[in-house]
Amino acid sequence: MAPIIRMVNLTKKFGDFTAVDHLNLEVEEGEILGLLGPNGAGKTTTILMLATVIRPTEGTAYVGGYDVRKNPDRVRELLGVAFQEPKMLWVSTPWDVVNWHAKVCGLPTQERKRRVREVLEALDMWDYRHRSVHALSGGMRKRVEIAKVLIQRPKIAIVDEPTAQIDVVGKHKIWRMLRELCDEGTTIILATNELYEADVLSDRVGIMHRGKLLVCDTPQKLKDSIVGGDIVEIQFEAEPSPKIVEELGQFKEVVKIIKTMASTLRLYLNRVEEVVPKIMSTLMREGAAVSSIRMSEPSLDDVFAHYTGLTLEEAQKGGGG
Amino acid sequence: MVIMRAIWFVSQIAFFGLIASRMVAVEDYFRYYVGGLSVMTLYSAAIFIGFDIYEEAEHGVFEYLLSLPVTRRELVLGRSIGGGLRAFIYVGPLMCISLYVIGIANPTNFLLALFSLFLFAFGISGMSITLAVVIKSSDRFDILMGVLDALIVRLSTAMYPLSFVREANPIYGWVANFNPVTYAADLFRWGTGIESFLSFENPLLPLLGIVLFFAFFMFVGIVLYDKSIEGGGWQ
Repeated sequence: MAPIIRMVNLTKKFGDFTAVDHLNLEVEEGEILGLLGPNGAGKTTTILMLATVIRPTEGTAYVGGYDVRKNPDRVRELLGVAFQEPKMLWVSTPWDVVNWHAKVCGLPTQERKRRVREVLEALDMWDYRHRSVHALSGGMRKRVEIAKVLIQRPKIAIVDEPTAQIDVVGKHKIWRMLRELCDEGTTIILATNELYEADVLSDRVGIMHRGKLLVCDTPQKLKDSIVGGDIVEIQFEAEPSPKIVEELGQFKEVVKIIKTMASTLRLYLNRVEEVVPKIMSTLMREGAAVSSIRMSEPSLDDVFAHYTGLTLEEAQKGGGG
Repeated sequence: MVIMRAIWFVSQIAFFGLIASRMVAVEDYFRYYVGGLSVMTLYSAAIFIGFDIYEEAEHGVFEYLLSLPVTRRELVLGRSIGGGLRAFIYVGPLMCISLYVIGIANPTNFLLALFSLFLFAFGISGMSITLAVVIKSSDRFDILMGVLDALIVRLSTAMYPLSFVREANPIYGWVANFNPVTYAADLFRWGTGIESFLSFENPLLPLLGIVLFFAFFMFVGIVLYDKSIEGGGWQ
């Protein structure tokens, strides 16, 4: 099946500054693609080009088969966008904002009224529907912004940092709603600088840095791509024998073994979930007395650091616009 | 803003209009001036939408509007009509004061004049939006609006009859002859029965002028809007 979005050398320059640099990326229909990167990585500029808000300097993108340069009107018919900064228009209440958006998107009156209520209730905004948007907290305004996409149910939804400023409970609720939207057939592009959000929500994650796409794959494959990224720490009741250390080192997944203390081994390895049973059977066969085993796998932060040489926090500090 | 404009409007009628009409040797100048003042006020209310464009750009609302599933043509048309209607809502009560002062001689003529004033307001809004997106700088736009206000309003028949403008300077007269404010003021006066100093004998001429002005900024403006906006230059 042809991808629903195809970016071909997509580039945007603002004067001498290259915000997006020859981006080549495909998005499959029905998937959630996370675009992960620090501020200034080019995520929002990419989104604005896909939404036909700004025109690429070079290259193009095909959305639902339509070229963003040649058929912007057709592209916009397929898209719904929830922006990073809530866009509140000149109207004054959450109900007005969402209702106006639904009206512009062509929802019939009865359906519109029903869905405005449904979505505002689901986002815990129904009680605040007649309050001035200027009096709402940042998190509430963000909920109103995300409500636009949820009510529109577009073929392709673009959500830019959908849970920024929202509390933990609210975040989980919005993630669940986005997942449901995806299950109903909407393809979602999620731009975020929250690692956990990208990890739990995305089918694939593209890591962007300084306008370039560094890598794109499933979160698991990205983590697995770090050689020796998984860690298993085994604490023995007594110092492990050299034979045990040698046998553990013979597993092909194990990259490195460090003795951190007399009775503790730290193993750097790949595919921790596959190798741990083998480690356990070796230890049992050798009759090693084990006090505890701790396992950890790399986070997307480790993946980001692996590809950029920077933590997301460091990149954020040094990031441009 | 609305209150300020209303106070200014009423003061212009109650003080300037009354006093100046005693100084000027133009028959029925007071009613003539009130008619022109209504059009001037409508112009200044309709032109205001250009400033909204900058405010929207500053707050990112522009991005939102541009991402909506509507064509650019629909967007410009909607904004222009919205700006024109808003101007009418602001100026409506002041128009009523004008009509109370000057009266309506022929309701049919007045309805036609009112229709042309709608087109005039939409056209001015369209012009304001087009200039705002082409200029891309609120400071420069502010200056241009000041210049346009000085030229378009002063070099029109809003405050003085065309014959006097021509007498002062033939170039002024030429400009006033091809000025949408002149057309709107003429039609408003024709619609309310102030016919002693109309610039055009046939009201269809100013009506045609207004239709052309509206069409130009609606449809040619859309092309400029498209080119200026989608490149992202406004950012």
